[in-house]
Formats: sequence, C-alpha cells, structure tokens
Amino acid sequence: MRTSNYISIFFDDEVPLLQAVGKLRENDLSIIDVLSPFPVHGLDEALEIKRSRIPVVGFIFGALGAVLAFGFQAWVFTVSYPLIIGGKPFFSAPAFIPITFEMTVLFSGLAMVAAFLIRSRLKPEIRFESVNERVTDDRFVILVAAQDVESTLKKVKSLLEGIRTIEIS
Amino acid sequence: MDEQFNFKKKYRIILLIAIAASVMVAVTSILISNPGASRVWANVLLNNQFFLGLSLGAAFFMAVHRLGLSGWHTVLQRLPDAMTTFLPLAFILMLLIYFGMHDLFIWSDNNGTDKVIEGKKMWLNIPFFFIRLVIYFIGWIVLTWLMRKNSNAMMTSTDLKFDNRRKLFAGLFLVFYAITVSTSSWDWIMSLDARWYSTVFGWYVLIGMFVTSLAFIILLIWLLKRLGYLKYIRTDHIHDMAILLFSFSIFWTYLWFSQYELIWYGHLPEETSYYIERVHYFKAIFFINLGINFLVPFFGLITFKSKRKMGWVAIIAAIVFAGHWLDYWLMIMPAAAGEKAGIGVLEICMTIIYASLFIFIVLRSLSKGPIIVKNDPYLEESLTYES
Repeated sequence: MRTSNYISIFFDDEVPLLQAVGKLRENDLSIIDVLSPFPVHGLDEALEIKRSRIPVVGFIFGALGAVLAFGFQAWVFTVSYPLIIGGKPFFSAPAFIPITFEMTVLFSGLAMVAAFLIRSRLKPEIRFESVNERVTDDRFVILVAAQDVESTLKKVKSLLEGIRTIEIS
Repeated sequence: MDEQFNFKKKYRIILLIAIAASVMVAVTSILISNPGASRVWANVLLNNQFFLGLSLGAAFFMAVHRLGLSGWHTVLQRLPDAMTTFLPLAFILMLLIYFGMHDLFIWSDNNGTDKVIEGKKMWLNIPFFFIRLVIYFIGWIVLTWLMRKNSNAMMTSTDLKFDNRRKLFAGLFLVFYAITVSTSSWDWIMSLDARWYSTVFGWYVLIGMFVTSLAFIILLIWLLKRLGYLKYIRTDHIHDMAILLFSFSIFWTYLWFSQYELIWYGHLPEETSYYIERVHYFKAIFFINLGINFLVPFFGLITFKSKRKMGWVAIIAAIVFAGHWLDYWLMIMPAAAGEKAGIGVLEICMTIIYASLFIFIVLRSLSKGPIIVKNDPYLEESLTYES
C-alpha cells in the first residue's frame, strides 16, 4: 500500500520533459513540481510560472549601493577628512567610480541572494527529503498530484505513450 | 523556408539617388566653405574606419558564435555574413588615404625634428604602413570569404564537412582579427596623435566595432521585417540581440573608463594630451558620447519587457549606432583636423554616401540566396529557440 499522494515521472533529457509537461497540463493533471539538475529553458512558460521579481530587488539595492558609496566618498573627501591626493581636487568623481561600481555589484548581489532565501523560506534547520538523488545529477522529475494513485498512474502512462520516460511510479 | 530577399529596383534607385545627391551636396559644401584638405581627408578616414568596423564586427559576431557552437543565431546568420561582403570595397577606400597621408598623419612628413616621433619610425613609416594595410585586408577578406562560402554551401549540400570547415576558419579569423584589430587601430586612429599612446586602445576599438555591428544587425532585422521578410526571426531572437547590445554597451563603457581613469590619475603630459585636445575644444560631444553610448542602452534595455519589443530595441539600436559614429568622430577628427573639426553638412553627406553604399552592398549580397540556410545543422535549434 503506498502512502504518497503523488506520482513521479522520470526523464533523462529536457526535451521529453517539456513535451510531457505540455501534455499533462492539457489534460488537466495538476503538476506539484518539476525537479531538474539545471534551469530548463521554456519550463517556466510551460508551467505558467510568473516571472521572478528578484531583478527588481537587484536594481533597487544596486542603485542604493551606488548612491551610498558615491555619497560616502564624496562626504569623506570633502567634509570629513579632506586630503590632497596627487594634486587632484577634493571632489574628484573619476576616483570614486571604481568603488561605486564595486558597491553597486555587492549590494545588488547580496540583496538578491537574501531576497531569494527569504522568499523561498530557506533557513539552516530546513531539511529536504529528495525524491531521488539523481535529480541533482542527470535526472528530470515531474511530480503529479494524485487523489487516487492507481487510476492516475494508468492515465499518465497512457498519456505519455510515445514520450521517452525512464520510470513512472 | 525558401524566402528570399528581393532587392527591388525601387530600393536600388533610392540608394543611388541618396549617394548622388550627397555627393553633389558634399562637393558644393567643400567648394563654398573650403574646410581644408585635412578635414576632408579626416572624413574619408572616419567613414572608412566606421564602416570597415561594421563589417569586421559582423565577422567577429559570426566567428564567435560558430566557434561557440551557438544555435540561436542560425536564422539570422546571413545578415552578418552579408555585412562582411563590404570588405573588398573597404580595402579600396582605405588605399585612397595614400593621397591624404600628409594631411592626416603628422608622422608621415617628419624630418627628424620631433624626437618622439623619430623614435617610432620603425613602425610609423609610409612603406611599412601600406604593407601592413594590405596584409590586414587580405587576411580579413580571405578568411571572411571562406567562412561565408562554407556556410552558404549548406544551402544546397547536406555535407557536414562545410560546418567543420567554417568552424576552422572562424577560429583562424578570431586569432588573426585579435592581433590585427589592435595593430590596425594603432595605424589608422592612434597614430593620428603620433606622440600619444594607450595600451587599451585596441580593445576599445574592437568593442566599439562589435557594438556598432550589433546595433546595425538589429536595424537591418527591423528594416527587413518592415518590408515583410524574416518571419522566422521571433521575439526570442530579438531578445538575445538586445541582451548582447545591452551587455556590450556596458563593456564598452568599462573600457572607455579604464582608459580615461588611468590617464586622468597618472597625469603624465604625453598621455593627457589626447583628452585635453578633446575635453577642451569638444566638451559637449565628449560627454554626449559617453551619455548616449552608456546611459541610453543601459536604462533603455534594462527591463525584461523592453528587450522584447522590436520597435523599442530598434530605436535604442539607432541611437547607439549614431553614438558610436560620434565615438569614432571623437577619436579621429580632433586629431586630424584640429580646432577646425566640426559636425556639419560635409560630415553628414559623407556618412550618407558611405551608409548608402554599405546598405546597397549588404542588400545585394543578401538577395543572392534564401535568407535561411536550410541544411544548417543548427537550424532546428534556432527555429525552436526560447530565450
């Protein structure tokens, strides 16, 4: 007697995976998740997942980093501790650019990682049980929700005839 | 699949009229305003360099994608390929500057009074200058011809050897181009300021060429789509072209700044002379150049949706295209024509003449075969490509 309320379909390539996703969705089977070792082009569109808003976070924090870095250097070199360096004026914008650039990248990168962790609710104590270890290597898996496992299994098997699958269980 | 560009008589006549009218206006403006020989020759050199850069940038685009086994670009590969057919004409036009050597290059008639230029005589002398020029062009023309020939052979043949061959020639081209783009930019641009030098100059010119070609390919796609062709080039391909334009504009800015920052910081008279010449007399153009080549593509193409709208991408590409013409202007004109340099009727007419010639040759070459190379092994990948 199996206790799980899903069935998993294994693939060894992304092309049959995409075909199967399209076919399953056409026939109103609800896909819980698709697991793959690398990002598959076109999968988000096939699953109708909305575009991630992480780039927006990246832009906002990047802009913040740029303003902070430039503003801080301008304040230090003109107000707080003016020094003559190489005979240049106190406010020498070209000299501030490299640090501004680095801080933009740093802020933007760290903010995007943080936003991703928070949004996905990932924290150190979380442990996942993997469906199959090989999804981190060379296997692609579709998880399909199943109220009645036996009949869904039969339906899926008949639907995916002609598409190259490794295992349906 | 067998869609072929029809270079109608109407288009030819429009281009020929544009050339003829511009020639007349340019000649009249030379007669009326008497801009001086060096400004006229500087115009020739500027447009030679700009449109040669378009061809070479396109060849670089093809070579990189072929060597990288890229599949997405296959539906549009004949556009950059057609752009490289301008090279033989560019060769002839570049040979023309033989008659303007003394008006352009101060090193060409140095009689030994300038010690700095005297020291560079081993490289900067007229015979060697033209020997190098011939070597560059022969290498470029032969290698791009071989790449193009083997690629177009797949229109009829299904033999995979053509694909392997064009990859081989792509590799050879990249090696040859990497060296010659540096040395040719020293010869034709950097030696205008014969006392000045910059070690990053070759890269800077290379990326400028590449960005210009990307912008031109986008404009060509836009134009041909308006005329009802290229239905296989979809939003996903436009998206990738826009990504390339966006990222290489940033890379161009990076190199611009690398050159500027070090010279500004080092403050050595033999290095700063280049920027003093330009920032002093052409301050507005100097900052407009940076603005439209960096800020416009950066903010214009930063979002996902903006990269997927053909019209919008074409507008940005047109601005960047003009911006890079201005970039070449800044490299060449202040050095060659001095304070008399400007952007007037002469510059605009000369550019229209060259642009019409260039477009004429590109469209003629494109009309010689189907736009899609139907036996290309990467075609399927490109047709179903999703960015």
